[in-house]
Amino acid sequence: MLEYGTNIVCGVSKNVSVREVHGVPVYNSLRNFVEQHGEVSTAIFFVPSQHIFEAFEDALLAGVEKFVIITEHVPIHDTLEMVRAVRRERKVLIGPNCPGVIYPQERLKIGIMPEKYFKPGEFAIISRSGTLMYEMAKILSEGPGLGLCLGLGGDPIVGTNVAEAFEIVKEHGFEKVLIIGEIGGEDEVRGVEHALKIGFRPENIYAFFAGRHAPEGKRMGHAGAIVEGEKGKVWYKERAMIQMGVKVVRLPWELERMVI
Amino acid sequence: MVFPKTIDFWGNFVFEGGDSMKVQEYVAKRILSKHGLRVPKSIFVTSYSEETEEGLLRLGFPLVLKSQVLVGGRMKAGGVLFAHTLEEAREGVEHLLAKSIKGEIPEGVLVEELIEHDEEWYISLSVDRTLRDILFIFSKSGGVDIEEVSTREPEKVIKTTEITDLPKIVQPIAKTLLEVFLEYDLTLLEINPIGVSNGVLYVLDAVFHVDDNALFRQSWVKKSSEEHFVRLDGDVGVIGCGAGIVMATIDVLKELGFEPANFYDIGGGASREELLKALNTVCSFSNVVVLNIFGGITDTLEVAKGIVEFSKSNPQIRLFVRLSGTHEDEAREYLLENGISCTSDMKHLVEELLNWRSGKVGENRVLQTR
Repeated sequence: MLEYGTNIVCGVSKNVSVREVHGVPVYNSLRNFVEQHGEVSTAIFFVPSQHIFEAFEDALLAGVEKFVIITEHVPIHDTLEMVRAVRRERKVLIGPNCPGVIYPQERLKIGIMPEKYFKPGEFAIISRSGTLMYEMAKILSEGPGLGLCLGLGGDPIVGTNVAEAFEIVKEHGFEKVLIIGEIGGEDEVRGVEHALKIGFRPENIYAFFAGRHAPEGKRMGHAGAIVEGEKGKVWYKERAMIQMGVKVVRLPWELERMVI
Repeated sequence: MVFPKTIDFWGNFVFEGGDSMKVQEYVAKRILSKHGLRVPKSIFVTSYSEETEEGLLRLGFPLVLKSQVLVGGRMKAGGVLFAHTLEEAREGVEHLLAKSIKGEIPEGVLVEELIEHDEEWYISLSVDRTLRDILFIFSKSGGVDIEEVSTREPEKVIKTTEITDLPKIVQPIAKTLLEVFLEYDLTLLEINPIGVSNGVLYVLDAVFHVDDNALFRQSWVKKSSEEHFVRLDGDVGVIGCGAGIVMATIDVLKELGFEPANFYDIGGGASREELLKALNTVCSFSNVVVLNIFGGITDTLEVAKGIVEFSKSNPQIRLFVRLSGTHEDEAREYLLENGISCTSDMKHLVEELLNWRSGKVGENRVLQTR
């Protein structure tokens, strides 16, 4: 992240023997750092799942506004608490279980994605899958390029849903969006419904879904990707997208010629 | 007489957030009883003994005998019996102890006093992913027909995130259930039915699902196995780093007429050992394996080392490899040095597969067919 250009001002770790990493000072509490050195706007979390909530609280009390949680296996009730807290305080949480955020135009990377595949350009990405985000970014990098990319995370409960992600993308001025969804839940359809309400044009939205061939009753990986009723199925989501005028991508490399 | 049945059909109503551990009815009832809810008097039997007989006599008759299994549809599969005499109880218990229900041998038999009741209500708590909140579902038309009710008479079912929206009579029980839901890290808590007997509410059945991610702080639960691997019907093995990419690979294979043999997610940051484990698992049922690795936090060089090590001991397994991401140049070089070709994107990976299928021999690999 440092190499890319992100302004990392400090690290936080309970491990007292680590005081500095790549020239960045490490404190054992963010509140301590902020008391001495002033505001920190954003925090990215890699701590093990059992300690995420504690770390989140520290950052919240330290005045952080944007939280990105990379860690997976965060207990669902902890996530619910964090979601409640950010809603109450009008802050932003991305994740958990996500690759983070990248903003090529600003050389800002708050995450773990391989930046080589995110050449600056037109398309914002909103994705529930980490690795698929890289896959599609790579394809778009060879064409129209990327704008703000938000990896929302694969858990069933996430801090920012697709509708909220569209709001963030709109704030940053991107009109073309690729959403990458999966089997399970109704988030993508509701998100696009909302996007159209706030001014996105359907012809500027592309959707790619994974899990079309996931068999009934089998959970495949992501906690959220479980077959649960018709609305959670890929065919249902794709049909809803098409009905709204959104372009559906079926094979990843098709996107290349679709965006020309 | 309507009998308790656990229902799991709500689809987008009761969605369980996360992977979950199911809990036996008798364990759930113990917990609820500890928290002040009324449950039928009972004994839990794992093998019939003198003690069991004494317990049965103390309970009195009639009795309900319930096989403790975690599969649904226990009732229909003959997992619930009634006993009016000691003899019937003994026969019933012994029968159920040995009876497998849908492939599952019971942990034991829960024997309960039969509670006569006039009404059956339904209540559940779950994590609703759209609302990102805890959802209560309640109906006074609970019991085995609750499914019908929700479709035919939805006005009889209340769905809400606010306890105050529930009928006053059920609010105290709902508050206790919420406490339990939070304290035990549950993703689902279902009582169907609440038996109403002269205004007294009894928990006649209980389903708990515990959040897998919270097991570290719920030591009373036995740990479940990871779900990074699912066996499917086909013959082309699939391994990837990330559920999304694995699912997308499976989708693509199916679109092109291949039959995936499995889903296997090695996750982010996988080590050479994890990769080897994946390959060894998959090659036990598949001679052809597709590896789709796009690594951010995953070191593709580590993956390449695992692939080479595997390939040396298993030269007969045909591997189709795609590597992109961290250290990809070094990884590809390493593979080439060891006679294994790999592609850098999915499209080329697929082309290789198609070529192979139409009979062309892959570069640097000798084709072995079964």
